[in-house]
Amino acid sequence: MSSISPGRLRSSDPAVGVRDTLARRRRGSRGRVYSASRWIAAGLFALLLVSLVVSLATGADQAFAHSGIGFVWSGTWNPAASEYGAGILVVGTLVTTGVAMLLVVPVGLGAAAFLSELAPRWLAGPLSAAIDLLAAIPSIVVGLWGLIVLSPLFARDVEPALSSVPLASWFFHGHAYGPGILLASVVLAVMTLPTVVALSRTALGGVAVADREAALALGATRWQVVRRAVIPGARSGIAAAITLAMGRALGESIAVAMVIGNEPSIPHSLIGPGATLGSAIINQFAEANPGLGASSIVALAVVLLALTVAVNLGGQALLRANAARLLTRERIPS
Amino acid sequence: MTDDAPMITTDGTGEALAPHPAGASTLGSVATRSAATRSVPDPLAPPAITLEHVTVSFGRQCAVRNVTLELPTRQVTAFVGPSGCGKTTLLRAINRLHDQTGGRVQGSIHVGGLDVYGAGIRPELVRGRIGMVFQRPNPFPTMSIFDNVVAGLRLNGIRKKSLLREAAEVALHHAALWDSVKDQLREPAIRLSGGQQQRLCIARALAVEPEVLLMDEPCSALDPIATAKIEDFITALSPEITIVLVTHNMFQAARVAERVAIFLLGDDRVGELAETGPTAEVFTSPFDPRTKAYVEGRVG
Amino acid sequence: MSPAVSPAVALGGVPLDADDGQAARRRRELVQRAARRSLRRRRFAGRTGVLACLVALLVGLAPLVAELGYTVDRGVGGLSLGFFLHAPTPPGVPGGGISTAIAGTAQIVGLALAISVPLGLFTALFLYERRGRLAGVLRFGADVLTGVPSIVIGIFAYELVVRGLHHFSDLAASFAIAVLMVPIMIRADEEAMRTVPVDLWEAGVALGAPRSRVARSVVLRGALPGLVAGNLLAVARGVGETAPLLFTVAAPTAAMTLLIFSEGSQALPAAQQTAWTTAFVLLAFVLVLSVASRAVAWGLTRKAR
Repeated sequence: MSSISPGRLRSSDPAVGVRDTLARRRRGSRGRVYSASRWIAAGLFALLLVSLVVSLATGADQAFAHSGIGFVWSGTWNPAASEYGAGILVVGTLVTTGVAMLLVVPVGLGAAAFLSELAPRWLAGPLSAAIDLLAAIPSIVVGLWGLIVLSPLFARDVEPALSSVPLASWFFHGHAYGPGILLASVVLAVMTLPTVVALSRTALGGVAVADREAALALGATRWQVVRRAVIPGARSGIAAAITLAMGRALGESIAVAMVIGNEPSIPHSLIGPGATLGSAIINQFAEANPGLGASSIVALAVVLLALTVAVNLGGQALLRANAARLLTRERIPS
Repeated sequence: MTDDAPMITTDGTGEALAPHPAGASTLGSVATRSAATRSVPDPLAPPAITLEHVTVSFGRQCAVRNVTLELPTRQVTAFVGPSGCGKTTLLRAINRLHDQTGGRVQGSIHVGGLDVYGAGIRPELVRGRIGMVFQRPNPFPTMSIFDNVVAGLRLNGIRKKSLLREAAEVALHHAALWDSVKDQLREPAIRLSGGQQQRLCIARALAVEPEVLLMDEPCSALDPIATAKIEDFITALSPEITIVLVTHNMFQAARVAERVAIFLLGDDRVGELAETGPTAEVFTSPFDPRTKAYVEGRVG
Repeated sequence: MSPAVSPAVALGGVPLDADDGQAARRRRELVQRAARRSLRRRRFAGRTGVLACLVALLVGLAPLVAELGYTVDRGVGGLSLGFFLHAPTPPGVPGGGISTAIAGTAQIVGLALAISVPLGLFTALFLYERRGRLAGVLRFGADVLTGVPSIVIGIFAYELVVRGLHHFSDLAASFAIAVLMVPIMIRADEEAMRTVPVDLWEAGVALGAPRSRVARSVVLRGALPGLVAGNLLAVARGVGETAPLLFTVAAPTAAMTLLIFSEGSQALPAAQQTAWTTAFVLLAFVLVLSVASRAVAWGLTRKAR
């Protein structure tokens, strides 16, 4: 390593001296450590990602080797008979998430529209911040509340009321214990609402002022501006919001496990108990038979991973498409 | 008119005006030439828009102050001036767009005899009678061409298909867009070029048959060819409808406007109306010395 | 002399009918009449719409507020100094507390932080400075990892650490929580760095200063509020997780969230009370962290202005 001290410089240009000194520092040990640490960190993170996939794949290997890809839709989950199939659980996951979305989308969108467009400014700001904070409530607390407070309420009042409504009894019948698919869906809806509201608000706010003014200048009322110009303009952003919220709902397990009743059989009524991938993992983990049983649990995790990653990627793609669309509007072709 | 050679300045578009000792008279000659090709306005027609002591302020900051102006019917009046003088602010006061932005409008504005800010007057109805075209073309991005044109009609409660089709065809004809798009009416509007989008917005504004058309620098986002087409449109449409055009391009004003109102920044950085009159007159022999300085390119 | 030809023709179009002016006037009257008539209906529909949205907001907020209120209401009653200081006692024996759970959560999350904060920070620096495909892949991986359900991460930690070490441990739990927090931190850290004006950084590098020096002084200092805010949020998330702990820790008293789960599932009133009070403490802690995070971020935007 050359050690050029300023006193031994051939050139009289002070800038050269400084630059050389700094270059020497860069080649020095401190700079090397720093540079290495970034690479080490990146390497560790990459290793983490790889080991996640590898580890889960190895763990689930036995289950998939046993049942093949049919594991994903095979209908029975009966540990006693060593029959493991994720089919019912996938159905349960999709049903609970689906019902939760049905509940949360209109409510969340309406709330977002109110906060973004219709509320006075002094109200919208604090309320939106409050809702963002509510998103941080730990899922175990929501699950506890669902179990202790909502479940008796549902068993006593809500579910009997629903099964007495004439047409709805096709969905809601059977004895109302409280825990069940409906309760789980409601709990999921409550948990994902802040996310939907926050993301939809962003989507609505992203609609260009120009679109609102265009509608306004044509004689639209404020509501017409929201309904005819803002909401259609935010379509893809709202789709992204719903998809991302769905991704979170799919993965939520602890709160669902506490209120769904843990019955891995085909649900015939929303009031009855059911099971999802997440709830099954939680409820079956402790008693799983070593070997095939344990491997099947890991296989459930793999299925859940695939499902959530697919949905989340879709949501992120929608977000990017929305952002790209907003950008192309700025560039006007001549 | 002998002046010292004016400095090279811009006329507000960023293009440098070539130093020309007779700069003002070139502008004036353009104006005079256009005036000669136009119809003689009917002197007995009541003014379409009357502004009296109009002041627009945002909070404590005043944007434009004490404007008193009459805009004649079925003529093109241009609001001209450097940016920041309140031309656009004043324009938006006419169709009550400031209700949304929190701007406060004082004074009175009458459009076709209607007091725009009168008690009990609904802004939606005011805006339904006044059309507006914005600086950047803003067709509704999720709607087709046809849906865009008839958007105003639908918003105002008209659903009858036959009426919508008729209005759309007429409006697109007026905007000289019918031939280009008549086979693509269901296509998304954003597929059109910038100039076409702007003409679509004009058609959309015209479809509700407004009495007045407000145009806020409609050509500033467009290339010269598209600009020329829109200027042709303004000239052609002018005998049928009152047009108010905001522009910082004096030559554009000279080309298309019968009357011009010059807005300048007062000493306290508040916009005010410096002078108004027939375009040729104001540009060739302005009355106010500030106007003279602006028109000759020495200011602004 | 008014032009004898309609403007449409002048521009090359085809005249619709000779009676253009009449038709236009008829249309104008139609439009204005329709506008006037429909206004009442439109305004009524508007008011209904606004009301519906307000109702949606209230319906959405109600359960969350009820839940907050209930937790506070039931949880506060069990608060006492002893609650924080004493260890849990066997069922039926009064005087127990959750000190082990609080300590456990602190330990687990603390170790997880020790792993994830530097890992997240340096990986974010890596992503910030490099532009290649590797950086893109890693960033994509971080995005995907943020969406992975915590239960899947728990199973991963089980497979890797618990099976690997042949016993459940707090280490495995810390690992799981760290895996959960790292991608959140990476994304938040990189974004915080990117809000620092690029010219400052480039100017530093252009002057010949080594990347490390520039990074340390300029970028990190500028991004500090954003880094703090992002990491606080990640911690709030990590503290509140239950699922990953279920598959990794040795005892249910090892963490607050687990305690809530196990006590809450029992019918004993004392157990229920413990569950609610622990839930209250946890909730308060998480909310304080979130508010702190937002306060830091808000201070950041204030300074920028």
